[in-house]
Amino acid sequence: MKLRTLIVDDEAPARERLKSLLAELENTQIVGEAMNGEQALQLVVDLSPDVVLLDVRMPGMDGLEAAHHLSSLVEPPAVIFTTAYDEYAVNAFDAQAVGYLLKPIRKEKLVAALQQAGRLTRPQLQKLTAAGAGTEHRTHIAARHREGIRLIPIEEILFFLAQQKYTTVRHAKGEDLIEDSLRVLEEELGSQFVRIHRNALVNVRHLDAIDRNPEGQYTVRVRGSTDALQVSRRMAGELKERFRI
Amino acid sequence: MNTEASSSTLTPFYLPDFCTSRAALGVVLIVELTALILTLAHDSAALSFWSDLARSSVFLLWIGLAGAALLCGARDRLKKMPVAKGSTAVLALIVGLVVIVSEGTFLAGRSEFIESAGAGTLFPSDHWSFVGRNVGISFVVTSLALRYFYVTHQWRRNVEMQARARVHALQARIRPHFLFNSMNTIASLTRTDPARAELAVQDLADLFRANLSEKRNTITLEQEIEVAQIYQRIEHLRLGDRLRVIWNVAPLPKSALVPGLMLQPLLENAIYHGIEPRPNGGAVTVTGESSGGLITIVVRNPVQQCESEHEGNHLALANIRERLALMYGERALVKAGRFDDEYIVTLRFPHVESLAKLTA
Repeated sequence: MKLRTLIVDDEAPARERLKSLLAELENTQIVGEAMNGEQALQLVVDLSPDVVLLDVRMPGMDGLEAAHHLSSLVEPPAVIFTTAYDEYAVNAFDAQAVGYLLKPIRKEKLVAALQQAGRLTRPQLQKLTAAGAGTEHRTHIAARHREGIRLIPIEEILFFLAQQKYTTVRHAKGEDLIEDSLRVLEEELGSQFVRIHRNALVNVRHLDAIDRNPEGQYTVRVRGSTDALQVSRRMAGELKERFRI
Repeated sequence: MNTEASSSTLTPFYLPDFCTSRAALGVVLIVELTALILTLAHDSAALSFWSDLARSSVFLLWIGLAGAALLCGARDRLKKMPVAKGSTAVLALIVGLVVIVSEGTFLAGRSEFIESAGAGTLFPSDHWSFVGRNVGISFVVTSLALRYFYVTHQWRRNVEMQARARVHALQARIRPHFLFNSMNTIASLTRTDPARAELAVQDLADLFRANLSEKRNTITLEQEIEVAQIYQRIEHLRLGDRLRVIWNVAPLPKSALVPGLMLQPLLENAIYHGIEPRPNGGAVTVTGESSGGLITIVVRNPVQQCESEHEGNHLALANIRERLALMYGERALVKAGRFDDEYIVTLRFPHVESLAKLTA
């Protein structure tokens, strides 16, 4: 059986080179190529390749973030990162024993990497992010659904609501469930979001109004949603301070 | 000496620290030399050469060492003053000291102790001529010393600046990111388009030659623009349609002299920070103007919304600023900053076409 590979790189010559190298290998087959992280995720869902050759530095969603989202799939593909020069990423890959190739890629190294390629685990990915191998925070939140994953751009998210086991993401196009906890989300997206309650994290960009009812309870209204979100007594002070009210 | 213009940039104060023993030795040396000059010039019938020298030496050592102590004590205050004010203060201090010591010496010569010892001939007889002459001499000698200290200080500063500029130039050399990506592009092109691969290798070679050149301190603007355009060509192979560079440089005088690799790093920054992170790319604009003997070059690129300032960016800018300052002094200007959704770097420097004019 042939190894089905997907090539992901924003630079056309880099994709060309990988294509010609892979074409020379007997037991591999190229199933597709993508120019950025978003495209890659879509193609992975559509084509379910065995291995993804993933460039680290790409505009929009970079390779590390794409790998994060891939790992939330039921059957994620193996990932091999490619990079021309990135000290941080390479050190992190070495530390986590993650497969990577340095451009210009040598054929022997490519063969070896394909043989050893494995899936990335969540702890590995978290350590890679912590080591600064990619951009500081995600550009998208991935929600798993029947046909694969839905990518929600951070700027389109109105708020997160914590439920018992999952977290609800309310966004411009509806609602989805994700597995990340509010604490993790707040740590990562801190500057763009504000915590208003133990169970709610709101996108500052979509904040519409802060109201106060006769009992002295604060609620928050968000553009694009009719819900009035409760502000806890503990968070009210911080909220007022942040918006100088 | 153009103290006014340099005062703002001249920190720390140019005088050496008179609190050190080394400086005290220097003072003694200056004092003895002055005493020697005075004695040689002084045609005294009443005293032998050696007595005259000893007498002047003792008198001047008083002034010299007291002056050093005075400057040592006043150092903290002097340091805070601009050059012109500080120099005037030093001059006033020393001349004032000379007046006091001269007066003291004259009065001592009139004292009974000296009279009875028969040493009156060693002391001055004419009160006002003595004090007046000393004031004049101290004024000239102190001025000369100040000038000497100022010039040595400027020279040392220049040497330091050049050394620093050289270090920065090394650091500002082409990004490894660019080198390896270019190598990858070439590796790819050798299979698909050997002719373009060949061109890319030649371009890369030219770019590195410009980078490694020892003579890169001054080149013509035309050469500099060419280097930047070679760089652009290589990046274009890699980034394709995502990269557009708009050159509006026709009004620039081609033979004007500039420090080498002044424009290329700006273009590199603009592409690295402004174009590469954008999925659809964008345009870098290079605009050149020349009027009233001044050349202005503006490089602008789009910026991401929440993009912060970059370390690499600052390094390249600091390096260009320093090299322009080294070449044109305070007549050169480098400005950089974000304006709405654009990052704009402005270079302004005098239009000079010969090195001789530059050093004049």
